[in-house]
Amino acid sequence: MSETSKFTEDILSAAKQKAQVIVSEAEVETYKALEEAKTHSGREAEDLVSSARAEAEGVKRRQISETRHKLKIQEQVEKSKILNEVLEQARKRIMDVVKDEGKYTPYLADLVENGVREIGLETVVVHLNGTDLKRIDRVKMERDIGKKLDRTVKIEWSKEPIETAGGAVISSTDGRTRIMSTLDQRLDALESKLLVEAGKILFGQ
Amino acid sequence: MSGIETIKIIVNAEKEAAKILEEAQNRASEIRKRLDSMIQEQREDMLRTARKEAATLVEEGEQKGKAEAAAYEKEAENDTRQILTRASTRKDQAVTKVVEAVLGLKA
Repeated sequence: MSETSKFTEDILSAAKQKAQVIVSEAEVETYKALEEAKTHSGREAEDLVSSARAEAEGVKRRQISETRHKLKIQEQVEKSKILNEVLEQARKRIMDVVKDEGKYTPYLADLVENGVREIGLETVVVHLNGTDLKRIDRVKMERDIGKKLDRTVKIEWSKEPIETAGGAVISSTDGRTRIMSTLDQRLDALESKLLVEAGKILFGQ
Repeated sequence: MSGIETIKIIVNAEKEAAKILEEAQNRASEIRKRLDSMIQEQREDMLRTARKEAATLVEEGEQKGKAEAAAYEKEAENDTRQILTRASTRKDQAVTKVVEAVLGLKA
């Protein structure tokens, strides 16, 4: 090979080597940038999946929680129905007692006696419903109460019947002091307590 | 070979070498130019896969939730039925208790 040929070959060989380096550098640079971007995108993708995992857990929990809530309400509705039936039946049974003079008259006498004792006055006014005003032997009841209290009591029987299923209202003559002993009032006053008591019997272990 | 011919050969070799380098520079530029779109494409691919996985996870969560809720519902309905049946048998006792509490006497 001539000197000239060797010289030109060297020139070309050096150029090819440099060209290879230029391309390789670009490739390495690109590879590194791609890897870096991959790490970054990987984190983005992980965040996305991680959020989805949390959302999936949330969706699952929400469905269970909604079902629990729905069933709890259904159970409460059913329990309330039974409790209301109990109260309704109790009202009916109380009305049966009211109709049974043998049971009701002594009960009413006790109510009036307790009212008179509580009000502590010599003269009181007793208010009854229309049926009781007609059927109760008021003279006997007044006498019996006087005996039980061991003191003279003057009972004025109000001629105005009160609106109640049974029981009585005992008041001072001026009407300023009143003892409410009607069955309706007792039921209303005791209702929340009665519901708790009945609930314990019905739904307790 | 004359001196002029020798110089001509060397000049041509230099020209070819310059061409080789220019082509290499162009190729390197092309590679660098494609980088942005490659990064973008790579990101989209990864996110597409992740979105698919995410959708599957949420769907699975929903299915699991439905299944667990259904199982719970079945069990709870059974429990409630038992509670209500037991309550029905105790109703009379409860009525008696209420009546006694209101009247203060044995009903």
